[in-house]
Amino acid sequence: MSDVPVGGGEPQAPTPAWATSLERREHAQKLKQTRPDPGAPRVLDVDHVSIERGGKLIVDDVSFFIPKGEFVCLCGPNGAGKSTLLKAVMGLLEPTRGKVRIGGEPPERARHKVGYVPQRKSYSMDFPARSVELITAAVRGRWPAHVKPEERERARAVLAKVGGEKLLDKPLAGLSGGETQRVFLARALVTEPALVILDEPTAGVDVSGRAELLRLMVEISRSDELAAILVTHNLGAVAHTAERIVYLEAGRLLGWGLPDELLGQSSLTALAFAGTDHARHRDEE
Amino acid sequence: MDLITEPLSFAFMQRALYAGLAVSVVCAVIGVFVVQRGLAFIGDGLAHACFGGIAIGLYLGTDVENAVWMAIPFTVLIALGIGFVLRSSHLRGDVATGVFFSFSFALGILFLGLRSAAARPVNVESLLFGSILAVSPEVLNVVLIVSATALVVTLLLWSRLAYAIFDPELAAVSGVPVAALEYLLLGQTAVVIVVAVKTVGIVLVSSFIVIPAAAGRILGTTLARATMLAVAIGAAGAAFGLVASYHLDVPTGATIILTHCACFAVALALSRR
Ligand SMILES: Nc1ncnc2c1ncn2[C@@H]1O[C@H](COP(=O)(O)OP(=O)(O)OP(=O)(O)O)[C@@H](O)[C@H]1O
Ligand SMILES: [Mg+2]
Repeated sequence: MSDVPVGGGEPQAPTPAWATSLERREHAQKLKQTRPDPGAPRVLDVDHVSIERGGKLIVDDVSFFIPKGEFVCLCGPNGAGKSTLLKAVMGLLEPTRGKVRIGGEPPERARHKVGYVPQRKSYSMDFPARSVELITAAVRGRWPAHVKPEERERARAVLAKVGGEKLLDKPLAGLSGGETQRVFLARALVTEPALVILDEPTAGVDVSGRAELLRLMVEISRSDELAAILVTHNLGAVAHTAERIVYLEAGRLLGWGLPDELLGQSSLTALAFAGTDHARHRDEE
Repeated sequence: MDLITEPLSFAFMQRALYAGLAVSVVCAVIGVFVVQRGLAFIGDGLAHACFGGIAIGLYLGTDVENAVWMAIPFTVLIALGIGFVLRSSHLRGDVATGVFFSFSFALGILFLGLRSAAARPVNVESLLFGSILAVSPEVLNVVLIVSATALVVTLLLWSRLAYAIFDPELAAVSGVPVAALEYLLLGQTAVVIVVAVKTVGIVLVSSFIVIPAAAGRILGTTLARATMLAVAIGAAGAAFGLVASYHLDVPTGATIILTHCACFAVALALSRR
């Protein structure tokens, strides 16, 4: 749970200088930020998580939670620590302090509950693989030497859901940016997770494809009661589709509330669009 | 039919056949992984590391025959070192391999130089080019045991290794112990290489890792198919090369590898149709 209380009606604070955690707390208290109901069943609980890497504090005492079925947009400038925080959520690295719970369990024991669409495609492009194998690998947790008919059908069904049915037997190396994203989205959904993590899934997708993909993700999240964390720089396009925004900067949680509240706060919007790629991304829209 | 039965009526040819088949099959299976991992030169690198190990063995007083076994721990260490550099730096596989390759070869030459003048001269040629026709029953046993063990381990871990090599991050998210598997693959490759050096020599051993795997990779649309094709090409090339070299009276290891190369050329031609 966050140390920041829910709601609040105080007047808006000026752009802060983040010197101490006390100041941060005071600032957050002054902001109108509507948090989810603390009593709601939680899919993800990030509890006072700090992460140090290479002697550097990259995530600094971050706390928030995601209730069942909520679509959350995680934003913040380059290097804010978003990907690092998500790695801890997936159990790829252990937080230095604090803990992560997925459906009440530590991440290592909840792998099947989380679907992941990575930010950078780290897979080897020349690997002889087809979509059907990539998707089946997510189900099995191992690479399939042979895909069984029922596994194939399952892969086909989930690809159809993201509008990529015809990609089933295509080699991954031959897919376009948008097609690759569809296949990876299908891969993340195939285990019927409770939480999907989308780390900038629209990178390398053209503008219309991007909007289409976002609409698809929101739709799936709504219809399947699926909680989602979407990381994006493209705040303008997504912000109003998301149910809540979590705003991270320099490893710190500076905002957690409804899109309208956060986008209305001049301080955060200014922060969000200043000195980063955001302005460029927004202009591209 | 005599073309095949006649050469194989000799015991030394039978041993050569078994050794050749064992080495080519296990190298093909491992080769698909290391080539996919961008470590095609690891065979060469580790074979030269093996030379370093042999030289240390000779310096410590063993003869050439047994120095090869002394090379196993040394070569495994070098392989794990390459793995460590890969994981802890952003260097590519060929760079990491190149560094360790030079280090261990230089070390080998240093230790050979340190031997007293009275020491027995080393038959460098047999070390470099191997002597598959001179495989003794004892060496054959070692070759078969090491190959079978490596083959079983690799096949048991095949689906995890394949996932880890496809994408280490996604595999880790699925709970695959990526780092441990990579070290295991490298260490095992080192042992197989040393044993293969005993049969086909330092210069030719890396071809057994690279060529069948590359040919299988050209034709295989999935990793499993690529592996099966690599095994088939590796084994067929070894058997054909052995028999052909008998009739043509030419060096066996080289004939086997030229056969593999021919298969590679055919695979390339087929894929371009
Ligand atoms: N292993 C590591 N060792 C040291 N520093 C690291 C390590 N991994 C990440 N960092 C640093 O942590 C900071 C946060 O990185 P992270 O990738 O989490 O940012 P991000 O918010 O996802 O940025 P982007 O929007 O560019 O994706 C960066 O400054 C990065 O250089
Ligand atoms: Mg990131």
